[in-house]
Amino acid sequence: MPVKWLMHFQPNQGTTLTSQVMTEACAVAESFPGVSRDGRWRSSMTFYRAVPRDQSLPQPSDLPRDLIGISLHDLPNEFLFVMRSQRLILRAQSSVQTVIDKLQSYKGRFFINFEGVQYKWGDFKLRIGKCLYNPNESLRGIVMEVEYLPLSSMDKSQRVMEEFYEIWREAVASKLLAGQFINTEVNFSEYGLGDSYTPQHTAVLYGMCVVQVIASSNKNQ
Amino acid sequence: MEPPQLAGSGDAPPKQVAQAMDRLGRAARLIAEIRLGADRILEALLASNENPRLSEKAAELTLGEEDAMRRHFLDLRTVGKQLEESGVLSGALRSRGNSWGLHMPLVCPDGAVVAYAWKRQLAGQAGASAVDRARLALKAFSDQKRRFFPQLEDDQLNRSNNDTIKFPPTKRPRLSHKPTQSPNVDSTEQKPMLADILKIIETEAPGVTISTYQRLEWSKRAESLASTMNDHSLDQPKEQIFANSSSNFNEVAVIELVASGVFRVLVSLHPAGSTDPDAVAFFSPNEGGSYLHSRGMSVHHVFKHVTEYADKALQYFHSSDPNKALSHLLSWICSHQSLFTKICSKCNKLLAMDKSLAVLLPPVHRPYLLNSKGQDQDFATAYHIGCSSYDV
Repeated sequence: MPVKWLMHFQPNQGTTLTSQVMTEACAVAESFPGVSRDGRWRSSMTFYRAVPRDQSLPQPSDLPRDLIGISLHDLPNEFLFVMRSQRLILRAQSSVQTVIDKLQSYKGRFFINFEGVQYKWGDFKLRIGKCLYNPNESLRGIVMEVEYLPLSSMDKSQRVMEEFYEIWREAVASKLLAGQFINTEVNFSEYGLGDSYTPQHTAVLYGMCVVQVIASSNKNQ
Repeated sequence: MEPPQLAGSGDAPPKQVAQAMDRLGRAARLIAEIRLGADRILEALLASNENPRLSEKAAELTLGEEDAMRRHFLDLRTVGKQLEESGVLSGALRSRGNSWGLHMPLVCPDGAVVAYAWKRQLAGQAGASAVDRARLALKAFSDQKRRFFPQLEDDQLNRSNNDTIKFPPTKRPRLSHKPTQSPNVDSTEQKPMLADILKIIETEAPGVTISTYQRLEWSKRAESLASTMNDHSLDQPKEQIFANSSSNFNEVAVIELVASGVFRVLVSLHPAGSTDPDAVAFFSPNEGGSYLHSRGMSVHHVFKHVTEYADKALQYFHSSDPNKALSHLLSWICSHQSLFTKICSKCNKLLAMDKSLAVLLPPVHRPYLLNSKGQDQDFATAYHIGCSSYDV
């Protein structure tokens, strides 16, 4: 599948993120010649925690305490799990959520939704979205996903994506926003992922990105 | 003059083609009338200059001609708009709209009209000379004739075309596809030639995997790629499902070149088993489906543009060095391994916005000129469309 980069907006120290950033970012995207709006997108993440079991029974020591479950906008029939401590990714059918709810071994603590607008620009697809914390729908971050359709190799597309990132940053700089877009850097080999881009790569990107978004949101509050 | 008919996109393709040809003829007559009018005005001016008594008559004539020319210009503008809408001037329809097997006629930038484009590259070339186009048109025609009417002898063509390019008498009519060369063409000689060419290319470009297929084998492979790409659970697409027909070179019709993660290029040979490249197309390694063939078009902008440029390169290699057209073409294709990493030799950037197309592209133009010794120059430079200062 085509390669993706995921960026998030890092507000300057002491400033608060507002939805104005999303408006300005969309305005930048729409100012590129030849860009066309391509509908809306939505992905969601569920943060699971293991439900404490009867302590008298022996517990397997390698069970993860926390699980991140991800439903991606471009794979509606699948559900991915990220176990950050074990560096594992699991792909399952979306019905696995029902199984987890029934098993009661893990419970969803909180949820994060990503939703926004997507654009088509030649061989690129851009998705700009808000990162909203459920249940109170508070804004925690602004993300932008960039997809380059012709290539699936991370290595071969590195240079293209870097230049696009620079083009985007220069365009956004003109808006004088109180912050900048930062690319989410991940060492995919730690998760056993190769050069050919897959949904597992996307899951890891979102997992890493949301941790950084929440951290910077907590720092600025 | 009869009023121009409205172009109907709902008209059947033969009618559209006929209308386009009719309008081209009308445009040519209008241009001739305008030229004549200009000549007459000039004559009148010269005559009145030499003989002042004629100046009044010359003035009358000039005014009359000016009126007539103005009318001709208006008519020409109307016809031009109709031709533009039908895609004749821009060639917008030449790569699609294959309705009923017909192509719209195309006006090349130097003014020549290509009425019937049997091959896409014939209609697409802009820089070749009239002689090259005539030679290629004749070759295309004779290929079609040989394919569909093998029972007709080649001598018949010699007798009926006394003033055109002559075919030398051939010993094996079916294999004599290079009319300007001595006919030492033999099916047993071609087998090592194609194999040798491919071996050399594999040595020169170790990062490119080359496979050969018979025509039907390739169709099946293209379909299998579609189902492979749809299955996201596979990290590596299945390769080499179909055995190469490399042991049977006299039936090879498709050469596939794959640079991992960069491109998949298809070159067709016609006739099968020859070293005569017929068409070329670039695709993403992600693509699969029945549209994956040497006359197909990628869904991605970058590969569409490289394919259009490759058509021109193919024509250039055919016209400048027909014996080695395949070798040059394959070398040129292999140089595109750095398509997504090599910066433009003019602006030193990788991505540039093409303003007319409104897309962001890497350098998709790689000059293909051979030097005076007929050798390729490593095809080392690359340019964005806007940075390419000339059409090479």
